[in-house]
Amino acid sequence: MASDLDRDQYSSEPDPTFVNSRREAIVIFCTWFVALIWAVTYCKINGYDIEDPANIPTTLGMPSWVVWGIAAPWLAADLFTTWFCFCFMKDDELGIAGDEEHLEHAVEVDG
Amino acid sequence: MAHHTFISSMKENFLLAAAESGNSVLFTFLIYILGVFVIAWLSNKLLQNRNFLSEYFLGSRGLGVWAFALTLAATSSSGGSFMGFPAKIYSHGWVLALWIGSYMVVPICIMGLLGKRINQVARISGAITVPDILRDRFNNVSFGLVSVALIIFFMTFNLVAQFKAGSEILRTLLGPIDAFNSAVAALPEWFGNFSGLGADYMLCLVVFGVAVIVYTTYGGFHAVVWTDVMQGIVMLVGVIIMLPLAIDQATDAIDSSDSSKTGMAAVTEEMAKMVPPRYVTIGLSLPKSPTEDVQIPPGTWVSSQGKVLHGKSGRVFRTKQRNVFSAGAPVSLVQAIEIISPSDKRRSFEAMESQNKNDTGGVASNLEVRLVLNNAKVRIPSDYAGDLSKVELKTGILLPWEDQGTQRIANLYAITSEVESLKAGDELDAYVFDFIRTEDSFLKMEHNVYRSSLTEFPQLEGIEISSLDDGYYAYGAADEEIGSFVTAPGPHRDSTSGFLPLSLAISFFFMWAISGTGQPSNMVRLMAFKDTMTLRRSIFTVAMYYTMIYFPLVIIFCCARILLPGMEAEADRIMPQMAVTLTTNVGMGWLAGLLIAAPFAAVMSTVDSFLLMISSALVRDIYQRNMNPDATEKQIKKLSYIFTLVVGLGALIGAMNPPEFLQDIIVYTGSGLAAAFLAPVVYALYWPRSNHQGCIAAMIGGFGAHLSLYIIGFINGEGFTPYRPLELDPIIIGLFGSFIIGFIVTLKTAPPSDKVVKKYFYKKLEG
Repeated sequence: MASDLDRDQYSSEPDPTFVNSRREAIVIFCTWFVALIWAVTYCKINGYDIEDPANIPTTLGMPSWVVWGIAAPWLAADLFTTWFCFCFMKDDELGIAGDEEHLEHAVEVDG
Repeated sequence: MAHHTFISSMKENFLLAAAESGNSVLFTFLIYILGVFVIAWLSNKLLQNRNFLSEYFLGSRGLGVWAFALTLAATSSSGGSFMGFPAKIYSHGWVLALWIGSYMVVPICIMGLLGKRINQVARISGAITVPDILRDRFNNVSFGLVSVALIIFFMTFNLVAQFKAGSEILRTLLGPIDAFNSAVAALPEWFGNFSGLGADYMLCLVVFGVAVIVYTTYGGFHAVVWTDVMQGIVMLVGVIIMLPLAIDQATDAIDSSDSSKTGMAAVTEEMAKMVPPRYVTIGLSLPKSPTEDVQIPPGTWVSSQGKVLHGKSGRVFRTKQRNVFSAGAPVSLVQAIEIISPSDKRRSFEAMESQNKNDTGGVASNLEVRLVLNNAKVRIPSDYAGDLSKVELKTGILLPWEDQGTQRIANLYAITSEVESLKAGDELDAYVFDFIRTEDSFLKMEHNVYRSSLTEFPQLEGIEISSLDDGYYAYGAADEEIGSFVTAPGPHRDSTSGFLPLSLAISFFFMWAISGTGQPSNMVRLMAFKDTMTLRRSIFTVAMYYTMIYFPLVIIFCCARILLPGMEAEADRIMPQMAVTLTTNVGMGWLAGLLIAAPFAAVMSTVDSFLLMISSALVRDIYQRNMNPDATEKQIKKLSYIFTLVVGLGALIGAMNPPEFLQDIIVYTGSGLAAAFLAPVVYALYWPRSNHQGCIAAMIGGFGAHLSLYIIGFINGEGFTPYRPLELDPIIIGLFGSFIIGFIVTLKTAPPSDKVVKKYFYKKLEG
């Protein structure tokens, strides 16, 4: 009976905070993967085994492979993060601090 | 000539301002410590009238944007960010941009992948610690205990290592300050005897340890968080001030006749010409043997005083360690680096001139390099048939060395191993005279001389050099590798694959972003923010913060290669040295104190978090949850203070005589924690089907896979270097292993109860 009662306290719909968190986590993981592929591939092709390092091409004073392989995607990642934080990520209900309630009962407050 | 005057005046200013900046460092340091204690006192006030456990270990889940963002950023940036990272940039060049590249997504990964969900689950379960979450999420006591055991295991090692790192940083920062050295000299002998690392290390350890233990114990989580905020601001301000100064001064220091470019382009062009230095042992002499011991500080510039040395002229060296030139000794042997690049040499000679001009004692200016030696090993064959009592391994004898299929001849200086009598099979440490690889007719001539020497000393037949370190970088020193400071994989002293081969670059993308997500110390902070708006704004704040810190650091310390040649001799001092140089050159030596506080702040913010994690595991996860669930608040409070104090003192005692391989231990524990914790936590948060069997298997599997690679490496005779299948770091293997094992075991075992799934994955009905 107790478990039936417990079940009755919950709707049949998944918790929206869980659903939103999972969706956001998948997007973040894909972002990490894209960053990995871009940075490593670009730097491998343009940063390793350079034939004439004495005349290495530069952009803004830095080796071009550093600028386009790391600095530019870094700025792109910052733009993405800004969009993610302010346009994509949902504000969700996190609930009441369970430990506060729990501890109120479990720990006897010494007077 | 402009650059010449600049460098000279720069060095003079630097020396003249050394005392001033030294006092600034001490003053800043004392203000900083005072600030930390004030924060601890204020935090302790907050502990009144609140639930003690939740407040002491989790700040009552009420962190706002700045507190949450900066505590996470500062905790993630350990001392390595401001000491080890600059030293790496200086030593390996632009490739460090790729090494740190994943920091472009680190904030969104470590806060966004788990943040919202772990905070929610912690609230549902009432968890205060990570083991708390796992125990309650699966309603399984054993899981909680396994995770507590792993946290205590990893964190204890790490805490000792961080205590040592903090003390070493403090020693590096305070070392050049007279007041500090006077204090060390005044210490009683017994104090220094507590540690094999010397009285100065002990003093730094006690100052660092007591400060961090007292404020953490007294103030709890809020003290840690607010000191982190202060430390985070110090770090950011330091970088913002240094960036324009570094670019401007490095550009000025480049000889304009060498380059048509300006700004960073000139710096990069200059770096492209650089060749890494050579590591050698040099023999120093003075015009007259000293009548009393003479101290030669590390970082002293020396040359052959214009004379030809081993067939080469114009050689310049920098000492790597403090050395005592003993009274009466004709020559003193010192480890040093030799500057190879022509442009570096010019700047090095200028630095030496300035040093000698200010050498009031007349020692440094009179030092002359008389010998250049390389380390080698001499092997006596195990089947040596002759009479070894007749063998004399004396200076000047020639010995053969098999070097990648070519037999070369080396000239012995001395055997350094202490042996009473030679035995067949012995392998002895030795020095050989400056080794030069000859070819063709020169090599043939050397062979002829060697064969002639055997007719004179036939007993030397069969005795050979088994290994010889000529001191050049394994990658970056060869003609075809010039330019390694501006290309990947970057120069490396020991590895022929360079500093960052591609497989390692991929591993670091896992290491920083994914392994960072799996750190329990970060997870605890994710349980403490107030609401999701705080989380969103904090991810943005940390992303901007890291952008303003990490990439600029790469630029600043690439400029340091121009401004401060020869710092490979003391690479760990590059941050304080650069801070003093940059600020002194603009007449603001007092600013150095603020900049130098940054690395100290970084390591302190990491140590305090680890300290609190271990004590929370002991108080909450072991004592309250398993031994005494009915403990009163007074008991909990007393135990929390006692455990934090005892754990801190234990780490301090452990750090007095720390084990070897400490840096390796830090790497091992960081990646080991992620391999053990990430998969179980991800499954617990996002997979309703997950159960305690699968998650315990994932935890033990990740821990085991990661550990086994270290064990295989150890068995293979690689010491603390792990075995890397397909050149992949153990963290990648550990994480894959953990996720796969957890997945399979979960599907092979019974699903969790409907009650648990409903509680954590379905919306609770109102009323």
